[in-house]
Amino acid sequence: MVTVPTLKQLGLTYFRIGNTTFGGGVPTIAVLAREFDRRGWLAPEQFTVAYGLARITPGTNMLAFCAGAAWLMRGLAGAVVALAAVTIPSAILVVWLTRICEASGGNRWAHAAIAGTLAAAVGSMLAAALALARVHLTNRNWLSTALVIAIAFALAQFFNLSPISILGLAGVAGLFWTRL
Amino acid sequence: MKLLFVYLLLLKATLTSFSGLASLPVIRADFVEHYRLLTDNQLNTAIAASRLGPGPIGLYVVGVGYYAAGLPGACAGWLAMVTPAFLIIPMLRFIGKRAEHPRVKSVIRLMLLASSGLLLYSAVPLARGAVTGPVSLAILTASFLAMAFTKIDSLWIIVGSALAGLLAVAI
Repeated sequence: MVTVPTLKQLGLTYFRIGNTTFGGGVPTIAVLAREFDRRGWLAPEQFTVAYGLARITPGTNMLAFCAGAAWLMRGLAGAVVALAAVTIPSAILVVWLTRICEASGGNRWAHAAIAGTLAAAVGSMLAAALALARVHLTNRNWLSTALVIAIAFALAQFFNLSPISILGLAGVAGLFWTRL
Repeated sequence: MKLLFVYLLLLKATLTSFSGLASLPVIRADFVEHYRLLTDNQLNTAIAASRLGPGPIGLYVVGVGYYAAGLPGACAGWLAMVTPAFLIIPMLRFIGKRAEHPRVKSVIRLMLLASSGLLLYSAVPLARGAVTGPVSLAILTASFLAMAFTKIDSLWIIVGSALAGLLAVAI
């Protein structure tokens, strides 16, 4: 059951998550996906389409995901609100941090707080991986599900295949393997 | 004119890359070597600053714009960063109409599982950097369990992790 958020709700969610998640784009996507899922705003299939297409959109993938997911939820206005909410505060912060970085070395307390959020970012990515795996999981297909995940992981980790080509391969496999 | 120039140079870099720092070689060639709008040291500072704060790694183009043309340059950098994101909308429109077809469904399903494997893959280097001792490992495990098996708001999990990191240093 998908509910439609108001622009304000959408903007606030993007604002909160986009500007509190450290460690780059993938953890941010993971936390955003969890929030959309928790609120029933975006079906897992919609998430996958937005995530997959964001990977092949030029530029910062995380921003393409934000725009795409918001467009699915609230159209063009949603995409504009989402991008503004995610990027304007952190962009202001970057200018400010650039100035600070020039002036000083590094602060122990700031470092400790960031280290904590980085660990949480990794935890959120593992949780997101599990959430994606659970979408189509039944008693019959757990082995093939685990196999596909393991193959995708191994191709990236041990064979240095780019994420885009792995998603492409999975897509091609899906054309022929329709009874997973 | 200079602002438009900075925007177009940065846009060229963001449009020809697909993630984070992939745009760096293009930016370095244009801004540092060719037009000498900033130094290598300034470029490095912009990258370090974008890693310190929240948000995508691609945010460093805002710092590059700032060095090249001050605050208006930072705005041009921001615009160059968000412009390509809108390209996803026509792509979604095209796929969306075909989402109910069985083959499209199974393609999406396989890509979904592959994304799960790719998330695990992206977590490996981040985990190497983030896990520096028992405290960070405990934070990682606790946040994973909270995210995967409870409905607690993600913001509180992240704030709690930051506090736990601070507490560990204080003790």
